[in-house]
Amino acid sequence: MAYIEIENLKYRYPRTDRLALDGITLKIEKGSFLGIIGKNGSGKSTLASAIIGLVPQFYKGAYGGSVRIDGLDAAKVPVTELARKVGLVFQNPFNQLSGAKDKVYDEVCFGMQNFAIAPDEMARRADDILKRLGIYEFRDRNPFDLSGGQMQRVAIASILVLNPDVIILDEPTSQLDPAGSEEVFRVVEKLRESGITVIMIEQKIDKIADYSDSILLLDDGRMIAYGSPSEVLSMDGIESHGVLPPAVTRISRKLSIRKPDGYLPVNIEEAGPLMKGRIAFRDISDKSRSTGPEMLRAEDLFFHYREGLDVLKGVNLSFDARPTAIIGQNGAGKTTLAKLMKGLLKPSSGKILFKGKDTAGATAASLAPSIGYVFQNPDDQIFKPRVIDEVMFGPLNIGMAAEKAKEKASAALHMVKLDNAMNRNPYDLDLHERKMVALASVIAMEPDVIILDEPTIAQDDRGKDMIRGIIKELHKNGMLVISILHDMDLVALSFDRVIVMAHGQVIKDGSPREVFSDSQALMEAGLELPHVASLARALGDDGIKLSEEEFLSSCTFTG
Amino acid sequence: MKSISLYRDNGTWLCRVHPFTKLMYIAAAILCPPILGSLWAYAAAIVVDIIILVSAKSLKRAKNLIIFSFTIILTIFIIKGLFDAENATPAFAIGPAVFYKEGLMKALRTGAVIINMLLSFSILVLTSKPEDIADEMERHGFSPRLSYVISSVFSIIPQMMGTMDTITDAQRSRGMETEGSLGKRMKAFIPLITPVVTSSLINTRERAIALEVRGFGGKGKRSYLRTWQKHRGDKAMTISLAILIILASIWRVIVWLI
Repeated sequence: MAYIEIENLKYRYPRTDRLALDGITLKIEKGSFLGIIGKNGSGKSTLASAIIGLVPQFYKGAYGGSVRIDGLDAAKVPVTELARKVGLVFQNPFNQLSGAKDKVYDEVCFGMQNFAIAPDEMARRADDILKRLGIYEFRDRNPFDLSGGQMQRVAIASILVLNPDVIILDEPTSQLDPAGSEEVFRVVEKLRESGITVIMIEQKIDKIADYSDSILLLDDGRMIAYGSPSEVLSMDGIESHGVLPPAVTRISRKLSIRKPDGYLPVNIEEAGPLMKGRIAFRDISDKSRSTGPEMLRAEDLFFHYREGLDVLKGVNLSFDARPTAIIGQNGAGKTTLAKLMKGLLKPSSGKILFKGKDTAGATAASLAPSIGYVFQNPDDQIFKPRVIDEVMFGPLNIGMAAEKAKEKASAALHMVKLDNAMNRNPYDLDLHERKMVALASVIAMEPDVIILDEPTIAQDDRGKDMIRGIIKELHKNGMLVISILHDMDLVALSFDRVIVMAHGQVIKDGSPREVFSDSQALMEAGLELPHVASLARALGDDGIKLSEEEFLSSCTFTG
Repeated sequence: MKSISLYRDNGTWLCRVHPFTKLMYIAAAILCPPILGSLWAYAAAIVVDIIILVSAKSLKRAKNLIIFSFTIILTIFIIKGLFDAENATPAFAIGPAVFYKEGLMKALRTGAVIINMLLSFSILVLTSKPEDIADEMERHGFSPRLSYVISSVFSIIPQMMGTMDTITDAQRSRGMETEGSLGKRMKAFIPLITPVVTSSLINTRERAIALEVRGFGGKGKRSYLRTWQKHRGDKAMTISLAILIILASIWRVIVWLI
């Protein structure tokens, strides 16, 4: 008998009429690594919740079929009992802290106390796991003071000390920066080697392709495909289920490169031997040049939250109409710079000029008609019971007439494809949709400059695609789009200008190609190449290929 | 992280005294004076409070609490001194306002009650970690949920305050003025408070799940990471304090009977 056996599982959340899970049948062997992929709302997290019994025990709703964990019925055995066998780690690291402990060490021990583990055994396990996850040095720190990546490792440690047979990771890196994600993925790698059964839900398809023994593709609660990574990701028409295969796989398909078993390669290790020596690249070059008049200017900008600790150290930038991405690690000063430009913070010295006028005296609110700022977390702003009212809030604040505000709000909602959600309560929408509501609520004010803080977090491939479309359209309408981003693929595809920040300074400024060619700057800022570019690099290209199209049009392949 | 707990471990003996001993002290300090009935008993209790706080180098921090309560006490003096129903004997006058002895004595008593309570509670609050109090309560049979609430409040409220700042920024970015006249501030209230409430509800739900999968709701036995190192004298002190309360009660009954 397999360790986890799921038999024709069907489930519907209370007060909905759509099946969130529809006929899932699955066997998961002990020690294997299962990746679950699919677009937002496809049932991935629901399936994870069913494996640990939260569905139906916590969420209630209509439930059919069965889930057995090591012989135990997950619908009946209390979650607190199942938790001895199955651990769950989810997206938001902050909400997984108990909040009752002020030291990392105590936090990690919290769960063990509930299972009545003897104090000396607790200490032994906590020390061991903290060391293995590289967070032993933080054991006396307050967990709330840690960075996202560190906090998420504390969350994983808090589960691992319970010695579960299975650990479920539900998009554990979706809210982390690249360094934080890397920290977590290094831990996942260790888990894979440790023999524990891992079930991982992830939008970062390249990682899933690398780690998994098998992949399950869900759409609309149904199993679309289940098999080895190559098998699933080689599937024809996989894009129609909202999943974009890794760049390697997409390019291999176009070049008809297949492995001996007939499937497409899913990572560079597989593709390398099949492509090396048979592919030659032409160089593409371009230079970023300014277009149009200057919109925004930062002059010798300094800022500190605490005296003596400068977060920004003399930033000089001039923005024109080009869509501009600001990249760099957390703590590099990106968000501080953006907040200064929006007037949410005031510089300790230096100036910010909007269309030549100093903004020093202006409040953030009075700048709203000129400079818009979309925050990362939509729940920090949503307060109206209807989507349309939420989106009209900004336009009305800046003095638009009700009629016009409604018109602009409708247009903005159309742009983010939420026309038909206009009269719904924002809280009935999913997080990725609420993010779009927040975006629309700023677009509707029609500012000259719009600053987006991590617009792609929580978005699947379809959502990312939509955001690319929106950036293009806003640019066409003459708006300056500035975005803080961690997603290098999006940077490569959607921006004409890239600013790299590290330790409070601009260390590189140019076109995506210029920036990604500067390996020195990338290293200093702790950044990676976009996936397509790193594939080309691995195949001996010395230039930079930004997109699949560029890759294909500039290479000659001898088959 | 900013902590809203008043506890600081300053390394003095009082920090190592068991929270229950301190609770017993609070009981004795609050109960004995009214049982004995004399104002001098209040004075004695306050003196003992102060001696304990001084020896634990915590009087300075307690002072801030007391100063905070002074406005209330002052108001009581004015109202009782001027208007109490039993006022008969004038004590002094400031201009046309005549203060009466009876009212002032009542106010003195109320003031003493408040100060005594604040001081004795600050002995616990300033020198015991909320988490330790909660842990000890749980170990002695109180519900783990109650002890969770006590210890989590101290970290979750500062987090909510942090969220409040972000929300203010987000709404200002959409053209809402949060500074200026009272009218403007009133108008800003709903857009600021609603996201705080809804996002904390969402967070609470997620946190509930996170606790559940770490076995928190389980009914089985629990274990504890640390065992409290009892301060020498904890037991003797607790018993003596209990005896003190009993003696005071007996004395009161005897006085009554005679």
